[in-house]
Amino acid sequence: MENLINIFIRSIFVDNMVFAYFLGMCSYLAVSKTVKTSTGLGIAVIFVMGITVPVNFLLNKYVLLPGALSWLDPSFATLDLSFLSFIMFIAVIASMVQLVEMIVEKYSPSLYSSLGIFLPLIAVNCAILGGSLFMQEREYSTLGEATTFGLGSGIGWFLAIISIAAIREKLKYSDIPRPLRGLGIAFILTGLMGIAFMTFMGIKL
Amino acid sequence: MKSFRRFIDKIKPTFEKGGKLGMFHSTFDAFETFLFVPNKVTVKGSHIRDYIDMKRTMVIMIFALMPAMLFGMWNVGYEYTLSIGQSWTFWQNFWFGFLKVLPIIIVSYVVGLSIEFAFAQSRGHEVNEGFLVTGLLIPLIMPVDVPLWMVAVATAFAVVIGKEVFGGTGMNVFNPALLARAFIFFAYPAHISGDKVWVAGLSGGQGIIDGFSGATPLAKAAAYQIDKIPSVHDMFMGFIPGSIGETSTLAILIGAVILIITGIGSWKIMVSVFGGGMAAGLLFNIFAVNPYMQIPFWEHMVMGGFAFGAVFMATDPVSSSQTEKGKWIYGFLIGFMAILVRVFNPAYPEGMMLSILLMNAFAPLIDYYVVQANIRRRLKRAKQVANV
Repeated sequence: MENLINIFIRSIFVDNMVFAYFLGMCSYLAVSKTVKTSTGLGIAVIFVMGITVPVNFLLNKYVLLPGALSWLDPSFATLDLSFLSFIMFIAVIASMVQLVEMIVEKYSPSLYSSLGIFLPLIAVNCAILGGSLFMQEREYSTLGEATTFGLGSGIGWFLAIISIAAIREKLKYSDIPRPLRGLGIAFILTGLMGIAFMTFMGIKL
Repeated sequence: MKSFRRFIDKIKPTFEKGGKLGMFHSTFDAFETFLFVPNKVTVKGSHIRDYIDMKRTMVIMIFALMPAMLFGMWNVGYEYTLSIGQSWTFWQNFWFGFLKVLPIIIVSYVVGLSIEFAFAQSRGHEVNEGFLVTGLLIPLIMPVDVPLWMVAVATAFAVVIGKEVFGGTGMNVFNPALLARAFIFFAYPAHISGDKVWVAGLSGGQGIIDGFSGATPLAKAAAYQIDKIPSVHDMFMGFIPGSIGETSTLAILIGAVILIITGIGSWKIMVSVFGGGMAAGLLFNIFAVNPYMQIPFWEHMVMGGFAFGAVFMATDPVSSSQTEKGKWIYGFLIGFMAILVRVFNPAYPEGMMLSILLMNAFAPLIDYYVVQANIRRRLKRAKQVANV
């Protein structure tokens, strides 16, 4: 249990997807204009990560790793399919995103239209593929750990996008030099928020 | 004085729009308003008038910083005499510290103000008074041995990236003075952390008596040398090594009283920062598993930069929460996080700077939710009334 709490807190604050690894920047910068839409996108990311990471964990453990297929037949014990992990992971993620897209379109058409192209683009959001690959690289041992890590990373990303969205809503009233308006100031802001998130760097749990 | 005024009036048309030197209008305007009370009047629209404007706010803030600055100068001299094993008179101590601190102040003002003027000039707006306070805050949170060129680079970073790109005074998201410190902290860590930088001349190492350690109380606590921490009295009065202005809690409290009486600093933020710090300290006292966690929670308040941050940094009216309820949450989290970082993060001995920067990033979000909650509550009330 303590281990799960550690993974959860670490993945939200210490190993924050945006501020520690700068993953998932495209939708993070493009959709963070208002808190409302970014809350929607953030929840979608939490949902997708919370499902894809454990699914990919099972896939990794029972199909991809060297000798993982031996449950099927003892003759597969030397088979190593890990070169397929990218394509398998992204297939799982893409199908999951399709599902989310259908749900959002059905239950919240206004959010669907305000997210626009960025909802299907979650499929190529590097934070999500990054989540699955980190799960593989860090060798989480149980399904519970993988799920906690997925949810935590999603929540970290959610926190990052709503906090920059709140700042950008406030910045609408600022007299920003013309060349920096829009994306320019968002990049500078992300860097400064990265400095602020250095607070958690080095914390060992 | 009158002839000077006449001279200013005489050259004024040269700097007006269309005049020969019209492009230097904002520079001229800044100097004129600095020297004389401007005679501009509002011509249209309704305005509320009172005596507080930005210039006055900033000047009061500088008055509030004076005790901490003067004490800091004296303490620089005092710590130096301890390190070389002599004892000087009060004025000798003060004069030594004055000569050490003054260059840092001058560098920070000159660099910062020239950037401000350049931006005001090129963007065609007036020079704001905002940097007057930032320019004094930056030296006060530096160690005394910091190289001057670093102060210059850090000030330039803070003013350009922290403030001017957001549109200047009043628009910044992060506290510029803390950004300057964070810049040095991450770019040149050897010059702003460790045991050698806090006392003048210690990094040079000449004439230092044996057994003298320039370690701050926080560094000693982090190394679990709990018995070596100075007494609470010394830490409260400020006879400890540390950044120039942060050591004396007493001097800072005098500043806090000035800020609270004049209404310039929010007492809610100050109280909640201390509350948050004490809550974290108490929590650690209850679950004490290592010697650092056993330090009584009130001692955290007088160590390091906690008081300075709570009084002068967290209350920055621009980068803190704007809503009244938000201020409580914002302050509490700053205090809590600061102690948390001190005790749990081995990378940093002090957490105040980073926890304030972190909450600067989250302040707009806190405001957003406070405002939304208020809207929801009032809508509910309106519905109830409509139903009756």
